Amino acid sequence: MSLSRRDLIAAAAAGTLAQHYPLPAMAQTRELRVGVQSHTRTLDFQAETGNNTAQFLDSLCDTLVEIDTRSPAPRYIPGLATAWRQISPTVTEYTLREGVRMHDGTLMDADDVVFSLRRVFNPTDPRYLGAHGRYFYNFERIEKQDAMTVRVVTRRPDPLVAALLSCRNAGIASKEQADALGLDRAAQAPAGSGPYRVTAFRPNADLTVERFAEHWGDPAPLERIRFTRISEMAPRVTALLNGDVDFIVSLPPDQQPLVRARRGLRLVETTWPMFFLYVLNMNRPEIADPRIRRAMNLAVDRGALVSALWGGKAVAPGGHYFRGFADHDFLNDVNLLPYDPAEARRLLRAAGYAGTEIVLSFQSTYYTYGDQAAQAVVEMWKDAGIRARLQVIEGFGQDSSSYFTRDWSNPCYYPDMLGAFDTHWSSASWVTRDKWFAPEKFPAFAPLYEQVRFGTDPDARRAAYRRLVVMTETEMVPWVLLYQPSEAYAMRGNIAWEIPQNVRPYQLPFRAGLVSVA
Amino acid sequence: MIRFLAGRVARAAVTLLLVLLLVFAGARISGNPFDFLYDEGLTAEQREALSAEFGLDRPLPAQFAAYVGAIAQGHFGVSIAQRRPVLDLYAEALPATLALATAAFTLTLAVGLPLGVLAAIGRGRLLGGLAMAIAFIGYAVPHFLLAVLLVLVFGLGLGWLPSVGGDSIAHYVLPTVTLAAGLVAAVVRFLRGEMLEVLAQDYIRTARATGLPPHRVLLGHALRNAMLPVLTIVGLQLSGLINGSLIVETVFALPGIGQTFVGAVQLRDYPVLQFGVLAYALVVIAVNLLVDLLYAIADPRIRRGGGARIAEA
Repeated sequence: MSLSRRDLIAAAAAGTLAQHYPLPAMAQTRELRVGVQSHTRTLDFQAETGNNTAQFLDSLCDTLVEIDTRSPAPRYIPGLATAWRQISPTVTEYTLREGVRMHDGTLMDADDVVFSLRRVFNPTDPRYLGAHGRYFYNFERIEKQDAMTVRVVTRRPDPLVAALLSCRNAGIASKEQADALGLDRAAQAPAGSGPYRVTAFRPNADLTVERFAEHWGDPAPLERIRFTRISEMAPRVTALLNGDVDFIVSLPPDQQPLVRARRGLRLVETTWPMFFLYVLNMNRPEIADPRIRRAMNLAVDRGALVSALWGGKAVAPGGHYFRGFADHDFLNDVNLLPYDPAEARRLLRAAGYAGTEIVLSFQSTYYTYGDQAAQAVVEMWKDAGIRARLQVIEGFGQDSSSYFTRDWSNPCYYPDMLGAFDTHWSSASWVTRDKWFAPEKFPAFAPLYEQVRFGTDPDARRAAYRRLVVMTETEMVPWVLLYQPSEAYAMRGNIAWEIPQNVRPYQLPFRAGLVSVA
Repeated sequence: MIRFLAGRVARAAVTLLLVLLLVFAGARISGNPFDFLYDEGLTAEQREALSAEFGLDRPLPAQFAAYVGAIAQGHFGVSIAQRRPVLDLYAEALPATLALATAAFTLTLAVGLPLGVLAAIGRGRLLGGLAMAIAFIGYAVPHFLLAVLLVLVFGLGLGWLPSVGGDSIAHYVLPTVTLAAGLVAAVVRFLRGEMLEVLAQDYIRTARATGLPPHRVLLGHALRNAMLPVLTIVGLQLSGLINGSLIVETVFALPGIGQTFVGAVQLRDYPVLQFGVLAYALVVIAVNLLVDLLYAIADPRIRRGGGARIAEA
């Protein structure tokens, strides 16, 4: 997001004024008006993998298996499938729930499930990018057994089947609707079976959903939710203070005092399981020596970034795992990312670094505080003796191999230790396709990854992942992890909303039991 | 008059074609939509399939020829980002922008003309100074700042008006004032200058000498003559309304064509971007044509084939 001095001044002035005036009344008690920073082009369950779309999909669609959002440890419960059983190590059979009404009025059956999951497991149309390339690569096919039974077949036995099938990208949409309207029109108002259905959608601008009375599960707690894009921060905050919206996302730390000072408003803060990071191009000759890349890591004072940019609210990582997040706790003692400029200088000397220029390429105003972080990191690198320069880019072209670095985020898509790693660093990811990530240079990586990804014994997987975290950070060094950003949501005080366990970052959960308006 | 008109129309057509060529080439030089739509890149197969779907795999001259051919038949293409007809996108967004532009234009005339006359006849006095001060501020304060200030005072402070969205008439008040402020200022400044010039003319003295009441001298003789250059300004500002709406719509989260266009520029959504520029050019050209015609009506020398006055303007 963009944040200019002008925004800050305006918002600060707004705050001064705001304290003197009462909060206007809420439009309608059971209606929620949400101001979002980024919106979405389509609502295609199976194709939209971005954080922007993730905000909405949870309200619209269901999956065969659901994650229990009330359980601290990952636990999977029946969703559109009422039962499942393992037929063989690679085949699971799902019994579908009877009488599930879709938003287009049809009943959910095996045809809908096969249609939806085929788009994720076996995409045939290269014009539609889907979630397949990202993380569904081990699914071989989906088979219809009878009208209410399907079988999911994986290439290899897979401990993550339930986790993956509970992702919104494996959401079930009506085949009848897609057949009648075509994929493109269906994607504008997809017929899922979720607690809310789309009633109006203007791409990238405005989405209205209403309670779906025939939802099979607990009824939606709200009558209507309207998600409007207010991309600029100052107008978004003002809209909340002014009573034009009831709920806003992405309130950066320096704006939070404004909301705190106002009676009748509340804040919900979280540190999502997500890294903001710089990807390092391991095949770029100037930084091909891992010691140089390690030096680039040790030269970064993450504590300073967290306190200066985020007011102490972000989290500095110790490796590619999320502190305090489900299933990552066993790694809490791992800290491989100290601030050690002396060691960084030593490594640079040992690697024979001759002062070649290293370019930090980043997308301006894309990530909150991304610009400031890039400027700070380049200075930190310079302090450690790395000749570095900033380069603002608008998008990566056809050939990304000429870059040294780029900014990226790694959100955790499902609550497994691999939820962020396998979805971003697997063989199906762009980092491998474009040859930035070069695991083949490290023979120990593949067998270790094999154990983590496909191992069946949970303890052995954990032990292997611990070794993997150490190996990636100290030997391979494919990235510079900066921090887990903090995210704040501001809303009217009469809205009870908390972020449940185990949901994907940036999802806005408004299902039964997760939100209420007094 | 007909020859005059035909010449203008022919010139407009050539301008339009040039604009089309420029935006077509410019958009393609500035980047490829797939690089912006898919920020993690594409496989060669995906890129080929997508390029073929939107006709971007053909040589540029062929693409341009096809585009012009399609336009001639009234087809403006499909958005690359949304796979929906370009016209649908703009049609959805048009009402908000049209409402905003019409309101701002009406406000401009309703406030700008009287204030301009006032500034001229009140020159050197408090009233004239006040009118000019208002005009100066309106001209100097940029849209984005004025927008935020108005929101602070009338939205947040007084709570009279909503600050974002386009659901009701009340939602349009602040955007309209923001958009009109600069235009009012322009009209006031130009009208004042012209009025002062005209008021010093011999025929005004003559009119006064014949004993006409002051208001008839002012409105019937002075204002009518002073209006000529102001017409040009108002015409030019009409296109400025569209420029301004880009910023105003973003600040007030009004879902108008400004937002549609800015989004298309960010993503290099060629068909949407091209149509936006084309339509904008068409509006500017049409307005200029209209101004020329109004000139011809207002100034008989022009219809009779002189045209010198236009060159001066």
